[in-house]
Amino acid sequence: MKITTMLFVSEFEELWFDALQSLMGLRKAGLDHVVFLHVIQREKVAMRRGTGYLKQEERKLREIADIRFIDWAETLFEEGMEVGAHITIGNVVPKILSVAEIENVDLIVTARMRRGKLEELFAGSKTSDLLRRTVKPVLIYNYMSQSGKVGENPFERLLLALDWSESSEKVLDFVLALQGAVKRVEIMHVLSDKEIGKLSKMEAHKVERENKKRLDEVCDVFAKERFDVRPHLYIGDTEHQIERGASEHRATMIVVGTKRGSIWQEKWSRSVSRALADSSDLPLLVIPAEVK
Amino acid sequence: MAKKVLNVEDDPDIRTFVTTVLEENGYIPIMAKDGEEGAKKVKEEKPDLIILDILMPRESGIKMYHELKTDPSLKGIPVVMLSAVSKRTFLRSQAALTEFGDETVPEPEAYLEKPVEADDLAEIIRKILG
Repeated sequence: MKITTMLFVSEFEELWFDALQSLMGLRKAGLDHVVFLHVIQREKVAMRRGTGYLKQEERKLREIADIRFIDWAETLFEEGMEVGAHITIGNVVPKILSVAEIENVDLIVTARMRRGKLEELFAGSKTSDLLRRTVKPVLIYNYMSQSGKVGENPFERLLLALDWSESSEKVLDFVLALQGAVKRVEIMHVLSDKEIGKLSKMEAHKVERENKKRLDEVCDVFAKERFDVRPHLYIGDTEHQIERGASEHRATMIVVGTKRGSIWQEKWSRSVSRALADSSDLPLLVIPAEVK
Repeated sequence: MAKKVLNVEDDPDIRTFVTTVLEENGYIPIMAKDGEEGAKKVKEEKPDLIILDILMPRESGIKMYHELKTDPSLKGIPVVMLSAVSKRTFLRSQAALTEFGDETVPEPEAYLEKPVEADDLAEIIRKILG
């Protein structure tokens, strides 16, 4: 499970070239091909009463995207990388899924994508939609400071939040393949305070010990591959504790697994990955259980 | 017999422009919309000249050019680069590929930066194909 081809989705307002450059540490883990995608929202060029389809506007928007991508591509080409570009019109999520398939990418990088407030209430954010529908790992890139400046390589210090599910296994495989690009790994598991509260003191200690043992076993695997790794066991609300752990250990990115679900499952029981995708201040890497 | 010219270009407007220039000057145009399709058509059609864009989906012109010029059966086909990417970047990228252990390749027969005038393009093609 290596990252050799990366799809970089940019609407330009949210994700800039410095974000892409901060990911170039992935070259040490095999990245050699970047594909740019810019999706012109249909509403921007759609048919209007009296003016029809805004062909001139479409041309202008395509030209702007083309000039940006050529500038970005020139830098990467000169470093010996392979670069491709897609500029297209339509709905962003289906376009991402289609280009990711055509180009056979190993990672999708996108900024957090929002909808209108009312639409989000019923359908969730576009990011949630993407996470629900893709089988590719997705990096939701958030700028880490208010100034919009990229501080460091997001792959430098990873916080891996594991729930011991099938998708956690995929998280481990994925990160183990990034050796060379990652400096430090914090392995974390969160025990539910509600579940622990129902147990006797003895039973609670037993659960705690079992989970510590599992964390140590995972750390051993990483240590064998020469990662700098540490285990952490937290108790409380999962989403909140993951964010707290990331902050306490100065992680540069959170990595979680996810499992695909229907829009209705999403509506009634938001998964941790999708909740973090909408709220985390840090970049978030989501690895689906279905990833090949 | 009219000579065949393969144009590898993702922009449909530019493909139409190049087709028109080729037809008006008595050449047979063959079109490919990305590097992957271009590489396939080169082998199928064995064109007399290739007009090649750089930034495209699937496979870039940089990679396709390098593959062409390191393939003994194809390296004799002249190539005109037609792109908005600068010639300096193109040459540097080819040099960077060499740094990673690939074979050194010659410069293309011509390098045209977009936009190009129809007469200039036709003249370059005439010069190369005679």
